[in-house]
This record gives sequence, C-alpha cells and structure tokens, in this order.
Amino acid sequence: MPGLFERIRDRRTAASRWYADSALAGVALGSAAVLVAATLLQVSFGAFPLTLGEAWGAVFDPSILFSAEAWRSFLLGTDVPEWFTQQQHIVWNIRLPRILVGALVGANLAVSGAIFQITTRNELASPYILGVSDGAGLVVLVVLTAFAEFLPFVPVLAALGGGAAFLLVYIIAWKNGTSPVRLVLAGVIVGTVFGSVQRALFFFIDDLGTVMSAQAWLSGSLLNTDWGEVRIAAPFTVLALALAFTVTQELDVLALGEETAESLGMPVEKMRFAVAGIAVLSTAAAIAVAGLIGFVGLIVPHMVRNVVGGDSRRLLVGCLFLGPALLVGADVGARLALSPIQLPVGIITGLVGGPYFLYLMRKTESLGEV
Amino acid sequence: MQDGKTPREPTEEASDGETAINADELVVGYPGAGEPVVDGETLAVPEGEVTALIGPNGSGKSTLLKGLANRLEPEDGRVLLDGRRVDSFGSKELARKLGRLSQQNTAPDTISVEELVERGRYPHRGFFESGTDADEAAVDDAIAMAGVEHLRDREVGTLSGGQTQLVWIAMALAQDTDVLLLDEPTTFLDPHHQLEVMQVVETLRDESETTVVVVLHDIAQAARYADHVVALEGGSVYAAGPPETVVTSQLLADVFEIEAAVSTTEHGLQITLLRPLHDEDQK
Repeated sequence: MPGLFERIRDRRTAASRWYADSALAGVALGSAAVLVAATLLQVSFGAFPLTLGEAWGAVFDPSILFSAEAWRSFLLGTDVPEWFTQQQHIVWNIRLPRILVGALVGANLAVSGAIFQITTRNELASPYILGVSDGAGLVVLVVLTAFAEFLPFVPVLAALGGGAAFLLVYIIAWKNGTSPVRLVLAGVIVGTVFGSVQRALFFFIDDLGTVMSAQAWLSGSLLNTDWGEVRIAAPFTVLALALAFTVTQELDVLALGEETAESLGMPVEKMRFAVAGIAVLSTAAAIAVAGLIGFVGLIVPHMVRNVVGGDSRRLLVGCLFLGPALLVGADVGARLALSPIQLPVGIITGLVGGPYFLYLMRKTESLGEV
Repeated sequence: MQDGKTPREPTEEASDGETAINADELVVGYPGAGEPVVDGETLAVPEGEVTALIGPNGSGKSTLLKGLANRLEPEDGRVLLDGRRVDSFGSKELARKLGRLSQQNTAPDTISVEELVERGRYPHRGFFESGTDADEAAVDDAIAMAGVEHLRDREVGTLSGGQTQLVWIAMALAQDTDVLLLDEPTTFLDPHHQLEVMQVVETLRDESETTVVVVLHDIAQAARYADHVVALEGGSVYAAGPPETVVTSQLLADVFEIEAAVSTTEHGLQITLLRPLHDEDQK
C-alpha cells in the first residue's frame, strides 16, 4: 500500500515542519514580548520625571505621529520642530531612539555572530573572537584621540578597520586555504595586538572628557544615542541583513565543512570571504553606534540554535528577534538598575553572558562545533 | 539477491564498455609536500559499473580520488570526464556530474536528516532559487535508496556512526550525479552498517546508470561488490581488472604484504588473511 505510506510520511513531514516553525514562532513571540516590556519600561522611567500617562501620551501623540516635519527631523536630521514640548522631546528624541538603536545593534550583533559561527564552523566564534571588533575599535579610538574632525565618518571608518582586521586574520590563517581553527587562533592573535594598542592609546589622551567617552565606547554603551545614531546604523543594517538572508542556502552548505561544500560545487574560499564580508559590515554598523558590546553575538545565535535547530534561515530569523530583545532588555538594566547612574550596556551583557556561557560549557560536552 | 552478486563476464565489460573517467599520466600531490603522491597514473573507469580502489595506507587511494574529482590540481596529466577535462567544468556544473563523499564528514548536530539530504541539491539550484518539485523527488529517492526513511526527521547529532554514514550517502545520492566517488565509506562502521552501505552501492550498480568508484580497505568487500578492482601501491597502479584476476594471493603478498589464501566459492572469492609478511620473508 504505497498510498498509505505516502500519506503517513507526508503527515509526519508536515508535523515536523510544524514543530520547527512553531519553535521559531515561539522564539519570535517571546522576543517580541520582551521587547515590548523593555520598551514600556524605557519609555516610562528615567532621570526626567514623567508620569506613565505623560510618557505614553507623548508616544501616541497624533500631532507627532502624523507630522511630516517631525519625521523629517528624525529620519533626515533636519531641525527639531520648535513646537515640541519638553515631554515630547524627552520621549521622542531621547528615549525612543535609544530603544531603536538598541534593536538595530542587537539584530546586527546576533546575525553577524550567527554568520561567523557558521562560516568558521565554531560555536565560539563571534565578531570579537575574529578580531573584527578590535580592528573597528582601534580605528574609532584613533579617531577619537587624534582625528576628531573625522568623527562623522566613524561608522564607515569602523567598518574599514573591522574589515582590515578580518583581512589580516584571514592572511595570517591562510595556508593553502583556511580552516576554522586557524581562523579563530589568528583572530585571537590579531585581537590581542589591537587590544593592546587600544589600551596604549589611552596614555596619549590628555583630555579627561575624551578618556571618559572612549572608555564608555569600549565598554559598549547606548548612552546619549539619538536619531543621529539611528540614521547612521539603519541603512547599513538593512543592507547587511538583506544580504545575509540572500545567502542562507550558501550558509547551509558552508556549515557542512569545506570538503563537502567543495564537492557540492561551491567555491568555498570565495564564498566564505563574501559571507564574512556581510558579517563584517553588520558588525561595523553595530560597533559604530554602540561601541564594543560583548557576548550578544556569541550567545544569541547559540540560544536560537538550541531552540530552532541549525537551518540557517530559521537561525537568522530567530536572531533577528532575540538579538534586539536581549540588547534592549539589557539596556533597561543598564539604564535603570542603578539610577541615576547609567552603566554601559556592554557591562550588563558581559555580566549575563559570561555565566550563561559557563553554564553551557558545563552542560554540553561537545561545545565548540556547530 | 541471495548470493549478493550477479554473475558477469570478467574481461569483456571492462575493456569494451564506455569509460566514464579517464586519467592520463596523472600526477597529483599536495602543494608543498614534495614528492607527488600519485605519480603518472593512467586509469580508465568503466561507465555504469563499480570500480574499487584498494591498497595499503598511504598508497594514494584518496589522493587519486581527489585528483579525479578535480579537488587537487594535477601537476601533470589530465582527467577526462565523459571525454572532457574536469578542470574545464564550472564548479556547480562538475558537481552535477560528479559527486564525492569524503572519508570523514561533519554536519551541524542540530539539523534534521531531511535537511542534510536536501543540501545535496545545492549544485542544481541557482543563487536565488529555492527547492523545486524535482529537488523534493530527488531527496525522497535518495532517502529511500539509502534506506534511511525511518530516520528522516531525526536530528543528525542523535544518529549512530553507521546511520550517519548512510545519511551522508543519501546526501551524495540526492546530488544525482553520473559518477559517484566514495572514499572509504565502510571503514569505521560495524559489519551490519558496512553491508548496508555496500548494498546501496550494489543497488546503484543494478538499478541505475551511475558509475561508482569506491575506496575500500576490506579486500573481500572489494572482491565481492566491484566489477573492476584497481590495486594501488606507492602511488602507482599495481594491477587493474576484474576481481577474479586482480585479487590473488600474489597481489596480497606484493601490495599488502599479507600471506593469504584466495579461493573461489559459491559466494564469490573467499579471502583468508593468514599473517603479515615482512621484508625478510620475501627474500
């Protein structure tokens, strides 16, 4: 009775697809819930005393929501309309953009982390392991200390720095092709050297204010972010994420290892390089506006993979939701926990991420391989 | 298939049939490793049949296979696939004609068997294309042929070594190539799964036009399942032909340094390995 077998098989396949999709839906919904809750907290509380009613009245104020002038100032950087009240200003120009930047940064870090983990076939890989963030960081510090006039071009410069560092890592790791292990080792080498140079640079800064801002930037902070950061990060983010989703099939094949990928007809080195380029762009978009926020790119892909499995498309979609949720959630803690002192969000992600990783290390024996 | 082997006429098929792969004076080695591993070999792989490569460790079996698959650039000589140089194919184009399953494979633990097999369809898809009905049918056929239907929804990380190997073979089958190169597909498996794997090879020979080249460590397996055996020693072809003429006690002594008794039984060649030979024995 082949008909019966076919039916049973189709049903089972459908059931397993449904299970996978519902796991992904669970991740998306859970993340969305966290994001909404974090947004509620971020908008409602802060150093400037606003009642809940005032805060949310400002958010849903039709005079802003439907004002072309206001949106022009948010998205294009024209002057803020003069009729903004102080409440409206606080909510729309300080609290909301910070959430938006957090979401963009979280999505970028999570997606680029996932891509780096797949291309190096190493669960411990992240922009931080592969030297990308140290390269970008060094460039930003140099600009902060010596070339303040280039400050507006920081994201592009950071991307160049990150790209250059990754190129260096690639060259060091190259020996008739690269391997995941050599890439990670080379990344650690380059990262260490660049990190040392970063710390050395501090001794050449005279101005205390610059030291403080460099320090905050190295810790990874969303402090003082506004629509300017949104305007910087958003185009790069959209571009990088769109590219990332066009190469999910390639990511799937890369994840099988180079031998198999080659015999399936993929030019592995070229593809790995191109895909890593997308991830570098994505990382740079995040680093340029928020500094060095650790652990998000490492942990989010890991958590998502545990729930939805190793399929690249589902993994990236999951990261797209969980990354922002985690980062914006952590930023609530960073901003409100010790109020009025605001911590850099990178400190919170490190505090949460380290133990999570320790837990993983203890729980699984084969940590490391994707 | 009670006796596991269909009768065949030894020499004629091998010499008169079409060849799928021709290697002419092939020299392959690893870049920067000095002496080439395979030195000036000429080899014809008959189309639609099973060719087994046997030889001791380090005799160049895997290297030869990589050379045939254009994975290693030959230092000299050439490899022809259907009369065309393998290095003239585009990478995906070659992957639609020729598949190769390497010795050890690693897949992400968290993908399902079906997802892994589906990835074998990669060379048939364009950059933006997603799966078509033809892809789905090929995946179904491959899963059925490898006998892993019951594992379809399992995560790859939960499978045993033998099951994993069958799933990888299903992936290579889904690639739907004219030629399939298998590098030691049975080496690390228990006897049951070794037979399962070889049964897939047998099915490929009997029910499809696929040309199979398989590296085997088990000489008895090679004698039993292959139409054509190529024995390699020190990077050179020591002997090539049907198993009855190639697998002899003389060959086992010369190539493998084994004293063995080879006899013909109702189950084909019976090979009994007696003891290892040392240099002084041969004097």
